[in-house]
Amino acid sequence: MIKLAPQTLLRISITVAVASCLLLGDGLRSGTHSASAQEVHVTGPLADKPAVMKLRLWRKNRLQLEPFFAFTFGDDYSRALIFGAEIRFSFLDWLGIGGWGGGSFVNLNTDLTRQVRDKGVTTNRNRLSLPSRENFPDQVGRMNWMAGVDAHFTPFRGKLAMFQKVFFDADLDFFVGAAFLGISERSDTSIQVAPDGTQFCDPPAMDTMCLGSQLARSKRVAIAPSFGVAFTAYFKEFMGLAIRWRAFPFKWNTGGTDEAGPDGNFPDGRIDSTDRQGQFNQMMSIGFIFVLPPKIKTTD
Amino acid sequence: MREFGGITLLLAALCLALPASVGAQMEFSLDEVEDEEPNRAARDKAGKDAKEEGDLIEQLAAEKEVEGPEEPGLAREETVEEIYAVQQIYALRLKRFELAPSAAFTVNDKYLRHPGLGVSANYWFTNVLAIGVNFIWYDWGNPLERGTTLVEQIQRSFRLGVPINEWQFGLWANFTYVPFYGKFSMFRKFLFQWDSYLIGGVGFMRTKPIPVFDPELREFNWDMRVSFNVGIGLRIFLTRYLTFFTEFRDYMFLEQFENVSVDPANRDDPSTWLADSSTFFNNLTVQFGFTLFLPIKFEYRLPK
Repeated sequence: MIKLAPQTLLRISITVAVASCLLLGDGLRSGTHSASAQEVHVTGPLADKPAVMKLRLWRKNRLQLEPFFAFTFGDDYSRALIFGAEIRFSFLDWLGIGGWGGGSFVNLNTDLTRQVRDKGVTTNRNRLSLPSRENFPDQVGRMNWMAGVDAHFTPFRGKLAMFQKVFFDADLDFFVGAAFLGISERSDTSIQVAPDGTQFCDPPAMDTMCLGSQLARSKRVAIAPSFGVAFTAYFKEFMGLAIRWRAFPFKWNTGGTDEAGPDGNFPDGRIDSTDRQGQFNQMMSIGFIFVLPPKIKTTD
Repeated sequence: MREFGGITLLLAALCLALPASVGAQMEFSLDEVEDEEPNRAARDKAGKDAKEEGDLIEQLAAEKEVEGPEEPGLAREETVEEIYAVQQIYALRLKRFELAPSAAFTVNDKYLRHPGLGVSANYWFTNVLAIGVNFIWYDWGNPLERGTTLVEQIQRSFRLGVPINEWQFGLWANFTYVPFYGKFSMFRKFLFQWDSYLIGGVGFMRTKPIPVFDPELREFNWDMRVSFNVGIGLRIFLTRYLTFFTEFRDYMFLEQFENVSVDPANRDDPSTWLADSSTFFNNLTVQFGFTLFLPIKFEYRLPK
């Protein structure tokens, strides 16, 4: 049996204690979240993180103002160019309400309208629908203004890389609501035959050859369902860009022609509400979004 | 001797401990990297920029604050490696074939509907560039049954005939480029990847007029029209090899319509049946379909 001096025993004890501390300390560190080189792939900074961190709340409790330019498309006879604005307030980041409105500053004739103007033929059989081809552009229906209220639903949001260089947040905004359309159409009239065999319309009274009725206009407000989707991209905390498709189907007489009659009685020799046909009216708009308050909040 | 034994034990203990210490130096974590980051101001700026630009990756790398005293000025000159945790692209396209059946609907022809069934095949020679072909078949039964009510309305109200053509098929060779790539979250729970691409190419359409103005005599044969197309598409990845896509394409070609006038003296002369000049026609089409990427599996090549 080896006997050691107390001093030697002290040295050994200190040595073992230091070594044990080093080993134990390293062991404890190894047991914690400190990653080894092999573990980096597993425990990177995205590991155990939620799907989205520091989520920017673009809409929650914020007011969005959006001036826009829009144009209708798919129209048979006339398309409208529109300037307008939209305002939205979102209670949640994915749910909000809004209103919009605009006026058409230009109505463009379609190629079909121009062809009817240039080549249309008027006979006694179609005099009510086309009293004169030269004035046909004045008888077609036009959209003058539009307004509406919508509920906005934004389930999809994310970010987009453009050319792998530019990154920005984007979302898809679905909306549904009601639209109010200020339209002008050809006024109600009916064609009749005088005792001498000439055709005339009434009203306006005793309108020979219906030429006056072709230019008579009446205005009304049509109510239609409105729905669509918008792609929105945000470039600054307070500014973004929205490209929107909106549909608002409703019945109106786009051509100012005699198209139907009650009880299938066609042609009935009258232009009235029964000649309105269902149209799937659509428009595209592009607008700049300004958000208030300008400072954005983020989640954890 | 006793002292030697003590020193030996001390060295042995240090030798046991040393590998662990060295090993600790070789390990690295995000905390260590951030602690070694010398330029706090630069990182703060980077974080601010990342936040402004919406770059989550840079934001994650820059968001954690450094604790402890500032490094001396000399340390600012040192090169420090920053570690970015970059999510791999969900699905690579490089060196993969793409097979995409689709349904096509013409949206701007007011007079005749042209539903089509199509298929396209592409080969991706980079991750963002592909070359391929697409084919659409339009010839389904009697085309007049696909006419809209507007044709009758024009005939009845304006006493005008509308020259209309039917299409048999189209075939195009295309280039595809993917400039946009992104991901969306749905209700902050489900993530899906998507991209948007530009496409364009050249090919031909096979069409013929439907005799309207003198159907008793006139009869037309199918003919080829050179056609160009441009478009933009959106592709949503359902899996790493299966996607849903929608495209908006404009197939442009010079269409030859029927002559709207009938010459009574040469009514049976086929050279008078067609219009004198061609008409530039835009076939605006919306297509929906699915994409299958082959091979189904792919491997990432990570830098060493």
